[in-house]
Amino acid sequence: MTLAIDADLVPVDRLSRARKLHLLLLALLIFVSLGSLTTGATGVALLDVLWKLVQGQELSQVERIVLFDIRIPRLAMGLMVGASLAVAGAVMQGLFRNPLADPGIVGVSAGAGLGAIMSIVLGGLLPLAILESVGRHLTPIAAFFGGWVTTILLYRVSTRHGRTSVATMLLAGIAIGALSGAATGVLTYIANDAQLRDMTFWGMGSLAGASWGKLAVAGPIMLISMGGVMFMGRGLNALALGEATAHHIGIEVQKLKNLAILAVAASVGAAVAVSGGIGFVGIVVPHLLRLGTGPDHRALLPNAALLGASLLVGADMIARVIIAPAELPIGIVMAILGAPVFLWILLRQRGVVDL
Amino acid sequence: MIKAQHLKVKLSGKTILSDLSFEAHPGQVTSIVGPNGSGKTTLLRAMTGDLAYTGRVEINGLDMQGQKPWELATVRGVLPQASALAFPFSVVEVVNIGLQGGRSGQSETVASAALSRVGLAGYAHRPYQELSGGEQQRVQLARVLAQIWHPVEDGEARWLFLDEPVSALDISHQLQVMNIARDFADQGGGVVAVMHDLNLTAMFSDKMVLMANGQIKAAGPVVEVLTNDHLSSAYGCSVAVNQTPNGSVPFILPQAAVA
Amino acid sequence: MTFFNLNRRGLIAACAAIWGATLGVPSAQADAADTLSIGGTVTEIVYALGQGHRLRARDTTSVYPPEATELPDVGYIRALSPEGVLSVGASLIISDEGARPVEAVDVIRAADVNFVEVPQGYTIEALSRKIRIIGEALDVDATAEALISDVTKDIEEATAVAQASIDEPKRVMFLLSARGGKLTAAGRGTGPDAIIRLAGGINAVTAFEGYKPIASEATLAAAPDLILMMQRGGDHGANADELFEIPALALTPAAKTKALETMEPLLVTGFGPRTGDAVRHLSQILYGN
Repeated sequence: MTLAIDADLVPVDRLSRARKLHLLLLALLIFVSLGSLTTGATGVALLDVLWKLVQGQELSQVERIVLFDIRIPRLAMGLMVGASLAVAGAVMQGLFRNPLADPGIVGVSAGAGLGAIMSIVLGGLLPLAILESVGRHLTPIAAFFGGWVTTILLYRVSTRHGRTSVATMLLAGIAIGALSGAATGVLTYIANDAQLRDMTFWGMGSLAGASWGKLAVAGPIMLISMGGVMFMGRGLNALALGEATAHHIGIEVQKLKNLAILAVAASVGAAVAVSGGIGFVGIVVPHLLRLGTGPDHRALLPNAALLGASLLVGADMIARVIIAPAELPIGIVMAILGAPVFLWILLRQRGVVDL
Repeated sequence: MIKAQHLKVKLSGKTILSDLSFEAHPGQVTSIVGPNGSGKTTLLRAMTGDLAYTGRVEINGLDMQGQKPWELATVRGVLPQASALAFPFSVVEVVNIGLQGGRSGQSETVASAALSRVGLAGYAHRPYQELSGGEQQRVQLARVLAQIWHPVEDGEARWLFLDEPVSALDISHQLQVMNIARDFADQGGGVVAVMHDLNLTAMFSDKMVLMANGQIKAAGPVVEVLTNDHLSSAYGCSVAVNQTPNGSVPFILPQAAVA
Repeated sequence: MTFFNLNRRGLIAACAAIWGATLGVPSAQADAADTLSIGGTVTEIVYALGQGHRLRARDTTSVYPPEATELPDVGYIRALSPEGVLSVGASLIISDEGARPVEAVDVIRAADVNFVEVPQGYTIEALSRKIRIIGEALDVDATAEALISDVTKDIEEATAVAQASIDEPKRVMFLLSARGGKLTAAGRGTGPDAIIRLAGGINAVTAFEGYKPIASEATLAAAPDLILMMQRGGDHGANADELFEIPALALTPAAKTKALETMEPLLVTGFGPRTGDAVRHLSQILYGN
């Protein structure tokens, strides 16, 4: 029996198209990065600075500080956070075999959020010695730590006899999410006004706190995790056929799961710790790329990194400028920009996306 | 050769297989048949490494326990009974996933050759999820073939493990798939298939293994196993071999298919 | 209803300015706009010192005096944009405590901007300290001292009058918000708490510090005679009828006479230079002197 086919044919050799997309996205990244370096409330222009440097002139203090202490660290952080979230989203979707999985599905986001909120509301209860040694980094550290705790908890709950059940992880993740939400509710109740504001702003995400110090710690974590993930393309492709088949094809499934969860917990934990809650990137970027050039993870993962980075930096540019001298939280910009575009693309796509 | 000794498999606390011994030889199609619940799929899954077992399973003389997944993937391919695909890959992309596991070398030629063998030439760029169940099953077979393209490599037989490979197919495709299995064996490879259909089994198998209640009731050449007594006791109902039915109801046997 | 005693406030400011001028306060060449003020009360004090012309920008909570709202807005104190703040071009920033993120403040300081932090507080001493610090930052120390002296006198007078007119102390509850029937009240250590006490009232909510949600039963137990709220434009300001429909409030003593009073936000929460006015106004409402 043959089906009367009127389906769209899949474009021939999507993989090579996807690989060509690497170059295009890299060009976009460079373009957006340059734009980000030259955009800002103070009006410092990149070309002027470069010209001065070429001429051997001294930069003014404002130029120096704006470029080297604000824009460059912010750009670097935006690139890495955007890339981390998008790649983590793609990996989690591959691991859970579900295009709706978000990067935090292994518990990282719920835990990081809870850690951050606990540090905001209860931080004052810590012994002075700890507060002094940790100083201003209390919230990022608490967020990172919180992300790990929940991930380890979820992993433990879902792993029996050396085998991790992603279905269990998904369900346990829902339970942990609910618990975290309840705890957040309690903390909201006891928080004072300033703490409530802090919690709200943290939840909406921001790159305003970017600094070389934060980059030095979070940067390597994100870069190494993302680097490791790039080798998982083959394994994630095989996993799309089911864990049994992936195993038959020669993939060490449990090892893949362990590494994927580790990489995501580390990179997303670090990203959320330094920039707060930024949603949307992890689900939409991989999805857009799949719609465009197919689901082959070997190309999807690098493309996700490039597109996620560009997207976040682009959104940050808007966030910084649109209500200058004030700044919009970047989560809001992402939502306003991205949701309608995503809907439009889904509507344009013929047929329904199968799950 | 595939050899299983003292195989014991427990599922959810219940012992399905106990002290089972099984052998399959290269160059032969060995079919495992039996009623539902007889343990035939359990036996296959133990041998493909999907289930935990106690005992010993050897592939080509090597203990399976000591082998890494990628090593096993170079000597055996597994066609599951049903496959879900989580993402919208195209047909040839699915076949290529199989290629990544084997040692079959150049992708494009093997992939399209595999698709042609299963009668799906020209389907390469169709979206997999829009195919019928039978077509999808044949794509999976193409994937497995792409993984294990050469029936013999380095002087050693390679193996196909097929779990009810033809259950979703119509007659012409059933014959096509079984012929593929037959060819594979004829070229020196080994085939172990869990089969539902006794007629097709009889047509294409060198050796039959009849199971019931987690035990092997009979094993050997087809004519020895396919007897009234064996079948009746295994299936729990009276069956007669080699008898045309009474009455005027038409019947079709694959054995009678005109080639 | 706003109680805005133009004459008194204007008089204090004028006196301070004249006093400062007669003392020969050095009018720096930087009488140009060079300052960013962050914090509603901080801004109010800057204007009270006659230095409103020094401001280039302000933050979101700086809504008094109305001229301030015409300045560019750098956003909320706890979510500042480092480059945005720098773009204002101020050489001096006077800010409430708690400017965030810390990295933004660091960068601003590194750009050689004088970042002066003003400690919070809801007492006359705290207010005096604020005025002194702000005055010093703006180089109008003498004017600041004058303002402190006037404001202190004003508040003490208002308090004395208020205390004198008490027959029976009334219980007041300040609600920051009553949206959706959920009440957020001012406990100890807040601006409203201080004003209520100075006006001779009792803060009905003493179980906690700061602004927190208050449960229905606690509201009933608090038994306020008067509900105090901020005056807001638009429909955020609950009118008395709607407010006393809320179950938790419907059974309070205040509900009998639908006793609701709204005051201008910074006046009632900020404990700034106009505190005397706030005290006078509230005590009049409570005890009708």
